[in-house]
Amino acid sequence: MLKGTSASAGIGIGKAVIVEETELIISKNLVEDVEAEKVRFQSALKLAVEQTETLAKDLATRVGEKEAEILNGHILLLSDPMLVGEIETTISGENVVSEYAVEAVCNTYADMFASMGDELMQQRATDMRDIKTRIQKILLGVSSVDIASLPMGSIIVAKDLTPSMTAGINPANVTGIVTELGGKTSHSAILARALEIPAVVALVGFIDKVTEGEDLVIDGSDGTVFINPEESVKAEYAAKREIFLKEKKELEQYIGKPTITKDGVTVELVANIGKPEDVEKVLQYDGEGVGLFRTEFLFMDRASMPTEEEQFEAYKKVASTLNGKPVIIRTLDIGGDKEIPYMGLSKDENPFLGYRAIRFCLDRKDDVYKPQLRALLRASAFGNIRIMVPMVTCLEEIREAKALVEEMKKELDEKGIAYKKDIEIGIMVETAAASLMADAFAKEVDFFSIGTNDLTQYTMSVDRGNDKVSYLYSPLNPAVLRSIRHVIECGRKEGIMVGMCGEAASDPSMIPLLLAFGLNEFSMSASAILNARKLITSYSTKELQAMADQAMSFTTVKEIEDFMKDFISHS
Amino acid sequence: MVSAKIAIKNPTGLHLRPAGILCREAMNFNSVVSFRFKNTTANAKSVLSVLGACVKSGDEITFVCEGEDEEEALVAMVKAVEDGLGE
Repeated sequence: MLKGTSASAGIGIGKAVIVEETELIISKNLVEDVEAEKVRFQSALKLAVEQTETLAKDLATRVGEKEAEILNGHILLLSDPMLVGEIETTISGENVVSEYAVEAVCNTYADMFASMGDELMQQRATDMRDIKTRIQKILLGVSSVDIASLPMGSIIVAKDLTPSMTAGINPANVTGIVTELGGKTSHSAILARALEIPAVVALVGFIDKVTEGEDLVIDGSDGTVFINPEESVKAEYAAKREIFLKEKKELEQYIGKPTITKDGVTVELVANIGKPEDVEKVLQYDGEGVGLFRTEFLFMDRASMPTEEEQFEAYKKVASTLNGKPVIIRTLDIGGDKEIPYMGLSKDENPFLGYRAIRFCLDRKDDVYKPQLRALLRASAFGNIRIMVPMVTCLEEIREAKALVEEMKKELDEKGIAYKKDIEIGIMVETAAASLMADAFAKEVDFFSIGTNDLTQYTMSVDRGNDKVSYLYSPLNPAVLRSIRHVIECGRKEGIMVGMCGEAASDPSMIPLLLAFGLNEFSMSASAILNARKLITSYSTKELQAMADQAMSFTTVKEIEDFMKDFISHS
Repeated sequence: MVSAKIAIKNPTGLHLRPAGILCREAMNFNSVVSFRFKNTTANAKSVLSVLGACVKSGDEITFVCEGEDEEEALVAMVKAVEDGLGE
């Protein structure tokens, strides 16, 4: 058994097809008739552009416009006057064959891009090498491996898949992909996911271990690969495959469906994200927006504070990709438990009760909070951003934060910079104090989002990381449930949205209770969304009331847990 | 010869897609269309040249147009950047 990186979920069972690019031999051969050589180059170039156009069109219709974009980029590069000019100058200046001129010029650019260091430029280097090979193959009359017509049940084994190779993959015949290079976000991984082909990447040295036609079993969900597995392993994975496909199909029915209960109550089903790139997953699982975008990632693992500009770009990216869907962005939530050297945070004796989140931000307005609020406001011009303030315990904190937002709005007005004028500001309800004062908070904010992880921790006075006491940590504790119900009731009374962004929002035991309490928004990790939609649409909030009343009549966590377990197994 | 300074506001700077749109716009004109950035001059009609300038979001570039339709070219280039180059 071998282990690579999981790149696209699912089980693939089939025969290995090794796809290796033939090494092209390019020598510096001389030509006599330079003009004729230029004509030869031009006709090869024309063919390369046509081939790429066909591939791009095919990919756009089969997979999607977004996936075809990289090939459209290749067309631009192939038609670049500077590139073509330099290749022709090399042919005439050095009297060399086209394939050598192409090699020399394209490599110069590929090396230049590669040396620029950033990730996007690395991709351009890969693009340059890919188009180089395409022109050279045409010139040399070498045909590419025809990926489009592989036999059924093929598992592609390759060093790496270039965009032009992946473009031809037919998911009807290819049951899996294994590559030696690449990562979760490489082009081949993204395409494998789009085509729903199980894929394992970054399996070093794999090509040497496998021979053409050998049986392979791959599990793209955890990166496992078997070469010539025993029948028992094959049978085990065939069964796994059935279950995976069945569950997937069942959940896929819920893509594009509204999240509405049987008695017609619509709730919002949104995602928690930690990085701008996570938006891809939100769209994949049909999230209706983002209920919690943690901004800490921008501040971690670096030597200095991110600039307002950097923050603006990150927030804008999420807001504009989600195209008008709600995006709740939580302002910085850090404290003495996180090591961020440049912040000057000293180790707190009791970081969760100490100098953190809004307490820290209000103390560091000029260098931390104002730039973040300005970045959020500016980004709000590009989508439906809402600002969420974490760890609020008293009204003064939210009043001060709101006053700061107003101050930043004035600054932007003076400079004529656009922002969403009626941007909503809400709080994360995660302290016992905020819960007890929820009626007062509800009059001053636009929304609540209950952070059950911290609310449970603060309500039960329990550190969930401590094994000795973690048995106390359950959102089904009557104290926590009463707190949650109270917050929802207070929010509803003032007509503001009440959401939940803790793990409890996707918990099958919690969902029926939350629906009965009247929660408006459920935010969870993207991969949990479809299952939650399945559960929510199976309930009627009216019918849940009696169950919830009974659940709330219990006074110990054990009784509630048993009661909910019993309820779920019968519904 | 005419010139104008403008800031690039595309989130990833002048990367492949915005660069492509910039080039297509420049190719509509007979004038030589280029831009100065830091110590380099890039040919605005070449994607490779534009990419090679490594212009990031917020950077200011100076378009320089020279030729029979230089005035129109400059106006069009500035407008293309202001419109966000397709993003």
